[in-house]
Amino acid sequence: MPPTYNIAMVSDFFYPQPGGVESHIYQLSTKLIDRGHKVIVITHAYEGRTGVRYLTNGLKVYHVPFLVIFRSATLPTVFSFFPIFRNIVLRERINIVHGHASLSNFCHEAILHARTMGLRTVFTDHSLFGFADAASILTNKLLKFTLSDVDHVVCVSHTCKENTVLRASLDPLMVSVIPNAVVAENFKPLSHSTGTSSSGGNNYIPNPPPPRPLGPHDIITIVVISRLFYNKGTDLLTAAIPRILENHPNTRFIIAGSGPKAIDLEQMIEQNVLQDRVEMLGSIRHEEVRDVMVRGQIYLHPSLTEAFGTVIVEAASCGLYVVCTQVGGIPEVLPSHMTVFAKPEEDDLVAATGKAIAALRANKVRTELFHEQVKSMYSWENVAIRTERVYNGISGAISEAEFYGYDAANAPSWSATRGRSGVQSFALIDRLKRYYGCGIWAGKLFCLCVIVDYLIFLFLELWWPREQIDICPDWPRKKPGERKDSTFG
Amino acid sequence: MAPPSGLHQSAIASDFETPFPALVRSSTVPASLKSHRADPSHLAPEDAYTPISPPRQPFDAGGNGSGTDSHPRRIRRKDTSRSTSRRRKRFQKLLWVKQSYPDNYTDQTTFLENLQLNPRVQPYDFWPLVADSTVILQHVCSVVIFIVCFVGIYQERVNPISMVGWGSFATFIGWLVWDYWVTQEDPSGDGDGGDKSRSVRGGRIYREYRPPRRQDSSSGGNSQALGLPNNISTASISSASNLPSAASSVTNLVQDQPPPPPPCSNSNTASNKNSTTLLMPGHSYSRSVSSIHSVTSQTSANSPTSTTRLLGPDDEEYATNGRAYLRVSTIKSAILIYFTLLGLSPILKSLTRSTSSDSIWAMSFWLLAINIFFFDYSGGNRKMPVASLSTNAALMASTVLASRLPSTGQVFSLTLFSIEVFGLFPVFRQYARRRSWRYHVTLTLLLVLGAGGGVGMILGDVDENGWWPWKKGLIGAVVACVISAFAMGGCSWWLIGLQKYKNEIYGPWDPARPVIINRRHWDDD
Repeated sequence: MPPTYNIAMVSDFFYPQPGGVESHIYQLSTKLIDRGHKVIVITHAYEGRTGVRYLTNGLKVYHVPFLVIFRSATLPTVFSFFPIFRNIVLRERINIVHGHASLSNFCHEAILHARTMGLRTVFTDHSLFGFADAASILTNKLLKFTLSDVDHVVCVSHTCKENTVLRASLDPLMVSVIPNAVVAENFKPLSHSTGTSSSGGNNYIPNPPPPRPLGPHDIITIVVISRLFYNKGTDLLTAAIPRILENHPNTRFIIAGSGPKAIDLEQMIEQNVLQDRVEMLGSIRHEEVRDVMVRGQIYLHPSLTEAFGTVIVEAASCGLYVVCTQVGGIPEVLPSHMTVFAKPEEDDLVAATGKAIAALRANKVRTELFHEQVKSMYSWENVAIRTERVYNGISGAISEAEFYGYDAANAPSWSATRGRSGVQSFALIDRLKRYYGCGIWAGKLFCLCVIVDYLIFLFLELWWPREQIDICPDWPRKKPGERKDSTFG
Repeated sequence: MAPPSGLHQSAIASDFETPFPALVRSSTVPASLKSHRADPSHLAPEDAYTPISPPRQPFDAGGNGSGTDSHPRRIRRKDTSRSTSRRRKRFQKLLWVKQSYPDNYTDQTTFLENLQLNPRVQPYDFWPLVADSTVILQHVCSVVIFIVCFVGIYQERVNPISMVGWGSFATFIGWLVWDYWVTQEDPSGDGDGGDKSRSVRGGRIYREYRPPRRQDSSSGGNSQALGLPNNISTASISSASNLPSAASSVTNLVQDQPPPPPPCSNSNTASNKNSTTLLMPGHSYSRSVSSIHSVTSQTSANSPTSTTRLLGPDDEEYATNGRAYLRVSTIKSAILIYFTLLGLSPILKSLTRSTSSDSIWAMSFWLLAINIFFFDYSGGNRKMPVASLSTNAALMASTVLASRLPSTGQVFSLTLFSIEVFGLFPVFRQYARRRSWRYHVTLTLLLVLGAGGGVGMILGDVDENGWWPWKKGLIGAVVACVISAFAMGGCSWWLIGLQKYKNEIYGPWDPARPVIINRRHWDDD
């Protein structure tokens, strides 16, 4: 009987707002529930979405009323989240607090308070940050504050791990790389759409024949789905589209998404009179992404920075050949036979797209196999299992030596201040030692914050004693044994 | 406290992780591996930039791996050599591969391999740094000289008329020298006017140095007009009548500057009476002057694209009689500004009568500090948006300081002197520096000596021996030389010493800079 935990996922970003972090939290929570854990989500109240909600599978969502300042991130008040957070945690008997996204204030506060309350904490980083500009410096200092006393950190790619380790001065061994995943069932190519059923794809033909070889004069459609922002590389796209269309007569573009750079694209279309070859769909819902993707053969992703790039996995799962820029964590995501990499330069992007078109025309790429391959590479069950190992490691269910490696566990350099699972003590003085190292001034400031937090904790224990907080009944848990039937058929 | 101990009690079931046998792998590095470091799986800071990494043993030495053989699905690829089943695969920085390493495994050879530390840092050299710091020294010294002059006037130790006379004379000489330099450096006006680049350059130099010339001649005219009685009413009338034309002349000279509309009416009403409207002419005055100076700074801050486009075609006309025409027009506008100033002086005198002197000292201190900190030391090569802030702050400081002075002549002298020091002198300094290094050093030395001597004399007693404490002045000059030498050397040395804290980190996480060739050609149309 493996241990099960009561886990609270905390982030500013959750449904009803669409996005990558949001779906990550939802999918991971669902799969963890499937594995017999209890998961709740704590986020701030959205418009028309307040109070407590249950989602599918018994996932309970607390929408805490809080002041939202910018792009659904809440106002950073270091302590004001504590009373209600403590109440929720005690009601739900939480063992592990798992925060998401480094721009989420809720996540940082929750990790701080959870450590004060003596809970294990995990943080998942979804984004990349530089080190040069003022905003990054501030964010990095804040991240350093929170992550001084966290039990484990999860990053979505190796590049993201390097970045987070540098930003928060972490020990690399306490940072795990667990990628995002896709729900492969939602991203099937066209040829699969008929024969599918819910029974886990048993009736698939292992290697379905290609539907029809692509002739030299068939039209190849290139799909772009991205928000049209600068850092998504829309400038590159705007510059490359006319040249690609000029070089390759039987091609067309479908562009979905909206943003401030959409006007540039439209201007480009009018300038070059490409209205019949470039179709702009505007913003689309996440459910429609697959339907747009399957209209094309090539997916073009010109982003300038990307921690993981879920969308290219989705595109490959739909059987599209992927052309993408070699930035951030993107080179780690897909095998080379599914992708053509380009430097973030206009010329290289045009050349890479030309290469992809030529390869498709020569029928060198077995795109019909992509779906099964992606399905075997990325699944949320896998993510949940790997996250579970992190939980086991920090809560001591697997030994320190096993989790971190033998020599690391036996090394004399591990002291209480830089502790590990089981060793990472909750004693206030040890925590203060960890925070004190954050900087000459920042260290003292952070220590002050932690002390105040601890005093607030003592006050709350007096004022609302934990005996008087009702324990809420759990959603009937799945037996961990059940999961085999549903996921690994 | 929530019970973390409750988590410990349950044991691990062995079948718990069977679906992914790769994850059962427990050790990151075999225990036998011991490098010179205490903890080989721990990345040391020097790994970030030293190319040599500790020797790594093959991982099949101590691995108890069964993961790769029972790998459930193998992706079929062309290069099967990479996925050949070995006992333990090499760690790859890939997410789609089923790694036979735990998730928190940190590979020493690949971790942070793309990190770049300080890739674009250029080290400083000591002597060039000291040489560059002379620009700052010059400006600080001229501010000090201005303060010394104010204190001299305020304590009535210096005759303001003689001070501004000498200052204007020096400015006039400076203008002549500058004009000589320009004609020498700019033969395009006479010679090859057809050459486009040359003519563009000539146009730009015209543009840059027109305001100083205008004001130079204003000060020159002022020295001739010093004999005029400071009759308030006539002065104000003349200022009122002259202002529009002055404004128009300014706008004639600077085509891209909208004409300042209100000043004539303001000064008309203000010259009549009324302490409430007294602020208005002060405003108009300072605005007109500040607009002139913002023009100075803007043009000297190198905005050649628009101005050269304007002036390029006219260059041929300039070639024939442009220089003479320019001289006449600058002298004309200088006279206009001179009379404006003369008219506004009595109003300025009572501008801050209701404010206590302490506030004025504090305010002028901060304004002069702003002037020093935001001054455009780059020599006009770079666009500096706050350069006009610097000049405006200095002029405001001089205005409020002048308003402390009791007589109109003193106010007029100090204001005119401030225009010369803060508006025109920087242009001359910059030009001298560009012209020749020797001029620059000489000028610096003169300024340091002047500032030090001035401070020494101000600090000396008034009636020590006679009225001219030259001994104190000499001591001050020597002390100033020593201090400035130490300051320049010390600051340069300090800056070089601080370079070791420089830590710029670049890596694959930074947003890429897109390389786009035909960048928005539709925007330029």
